[in-house]
Amino acid sequence: MISDAFIPAVSSLGAVALALGLIIHYVSKRFHVEEDPTVKLVNSILPGVNCGACGFPSCNQFAEVLVETRNNAMTCPVGGPDLAVKLGETLGMAMAEPKAQTAVVLCQGKNDVARRSAQYLGIQDCWAATQAFAGPKQCRYSCIGLGSCIAWCDFGAMRLENGLIVIDKNLCTGCAACIPVCPTGVLVMQDKKAARYFIACNSHDRGAATKKACDAGCTACQKCVKVCEDNAIVIEDFLARIIQEKCTACGKCIEVCPTKVNCIRLERDLNAVKQAS
Amino acid sequence: MPLPAELSIPLSQHLGKPAKPVVRMNDEVKKGQLVGEADGFISANVHASTSGKVRAIRPHPHPGGQYAMTVFITPDGKDEWAEGLNSAPVDWKGMSKEEILKKIRDAGVVGMGGAGFPTNVKLSPPPDKKIDTIILNGAECEPFLTADHRLMVESPEAVVAGLEIMASLFPGTLKLAIGIEANKPDAIDALQQYAVPKKIEVLALKTKYPQGAEKQLINAITGRNVGEGELPFDRGCIVQNIGTAVAVYDAVCRNRPLIERVVTVSGMEIARQKNISARIGTSFSDIIAFCGGMSEKTNQVISGGPMMGKAIFSLDVPVVKTTSGILFINNSALGKSRERACIRCGRCVEVCPQGLAPWLLANVAQLRQLEKIQLLGLANCTECGSCTYVCPSGRELVHWIKYAKALVSSRKQRKSA
Repeated sequence: MISDAFIPAVSSLGAVALALGLIIHYVSKRFHVEEDPTVKLVNSILPGVNCGACGFPSCNQFAEVLVETRNNAMTCPVGGPDLAVKLGETLGMAMAEPKAQTAVVLCQGKNDVARRSAQYLGIQDCWAATQAFAGPKQCRYSCIGLGSCIAWCDFGAMRLENGLIVIDKNLCTGCAACIPVCPTGVLVMQDKKAARYFIACNSHDRGAATKKACDAGCTACQKCVKVCEDNAIVIEDFLARIIQEKCTACGKCIEVCPTKVNCIRLERDLNAVKQAS
Repeated sequence: MPLPAELSIPLSQHLGKPAKPVVRMNDEVKKGQLVGEADGFISANVHASTSGKVRAIRPHPHPGGQYAMTVFITPDGKDEWAEGLNSAPVDWKGMSKEEILKKIRDAGVVGMGGAGFPTNVKLSPPPDKKIDTIILNGAECEPFLTADHRLMVESPEAVVAGLEIMASLFPGTLKLAIGIEANKPDAIDALQQYAVPKKIEVLALKTKYPQGAEKQLINAITGRNVGEGELPFDRGCIVQNIGTAVAVYDAVCRNRPLIERVVTVSGMEIARQKNISARIGTSFSDIIAFCGGMSEKTNQVISGGPMMGKAIFSLDVPVVKTTSGILFINNSALGKSRERACIRCGRCVEVCPQGLAPWLLANVAQLRQLEKIQLLGLANCTECGSCTYVCPSGRELVHWIKYAKALVSSRKQRKSA
């Protein structure tokens, strides 16, 4: 009984499998594509996170285009200068070094500094919160503090600390994937520098309104503008901005800043310091 | 209610582009004077709701949840009308179509049910669409709200006249109907007196939510289905709110711009629940003071109804043309906890008036699959909130759907930019 059903089943399936196998074999020979081994090699050097910072959707595509065009201006911000050297060695040409950048939060509105407007109980996501109202903090330009950007960071460089996004500078590779995700636009990219001064505030409210909402807000008091000898600070729409190209990092602005929590921040990018020395 | 110490009149009280301010700081304005001019086709005029001085024009919290450009007026206490406004009732029958539409546009009349669509635009459908039915929505959009109910009982004459004015804009004989939920017999009686001689049907509808939603109302009265992506005029219908009809009457016959509206003040936590006729720009805190204050247990103040309204984040927000109600509630008794997993009970599918599967929409929204969610009929959701209300797992279904809508539209904007 069993063998009656068994033999035709096995043999017919086997025949089908054999026929398909032969077709696959023929197709793979007939339509074989010769792949450049250098693409594979380049691909193995790349970080392999497919973050999209280079402008291509994947590392593999970056490698393909790079090998094909030999364009030495193409850079991988994540790999940094080290990778540029390695790529240059592999391809036998001088590669441009990427600008070392890092993401920066233009807000210091932690829960103990920024006053809150209302308690938000809805979906814990910044975009969802902005559908309901202007944000749980009184300042509507602030970091909403629900961490929608964290999921977009491929490098685990972002975390939520007391209602504010904090970026780990050592982990941030400058891929800029987080920038378009923020509904209030408090995330920006900055070039790494040995000493980088910037205004960590995003509030375009008038001074009085800013002060009422947050202890760390820039009130556009003009003090830093007056003290700056390099004319590197400008006030635009009730918010100071430090022009990075002009700033010589003398640090005088931080001394005169009258806000309770300095709205001017100094950050040192260790990698950049290493290169300078 | 008494004149408040300050009025804050947002320039965006309607769907479409905000109005352009036409006054400047320290200007003297009269009651009913234009302060914001319609900027573009889908936009509406905004008027001063009392006489006084413009103190400032700057962004201010809006009941919609965001900040909007707002004209602050310090009243001078005289409450003087601008010239030519607030005239004795005139007969509209001699007026031409264009004249009537211009008057409605000048008066800044918008849909007062909640969406705030400029009425003159709604009344000028594309010429290839034939309108055969005009419906007045007396179904009261949401529970708690009774503003339209009061209006129907107190000024049925104006309601009927408003409907007649709107009907005169279209050629041929139209079916005119006023749909009222059956739990308002006094409103039905009051309207019937005026409506029946004018061949206007007053229909008692089953009391249920969302009976007052445009698409549901059309279906209940004409049996027609307004499909996905269609507007009422694709099915020959125009639906207007009761408040809008009165505003149209005021605009056409009495030269009064829309500077006042009936607001339902309700909820367990306010001392005196009532319907008040509030000037546009009256802040919520002034209304609270007028209604005897809110209790300390209040933990949500909602602008609009309990289903679709928005919890406001500041008591400084003003009454706008679309503020149908203000609710003061303490929802801690509801024991709102975090969202739990969907148990596939199907209740949200059962209650969805649009025949969607809210649980699926919410799941797909959570995964941010924006292409797929559009295929599931995202645009068809009217955000009535029935699904969130019945969900035994406490899922924020509507909020997820709104979230997806926002992401879809922001992506479209980015693409077109």
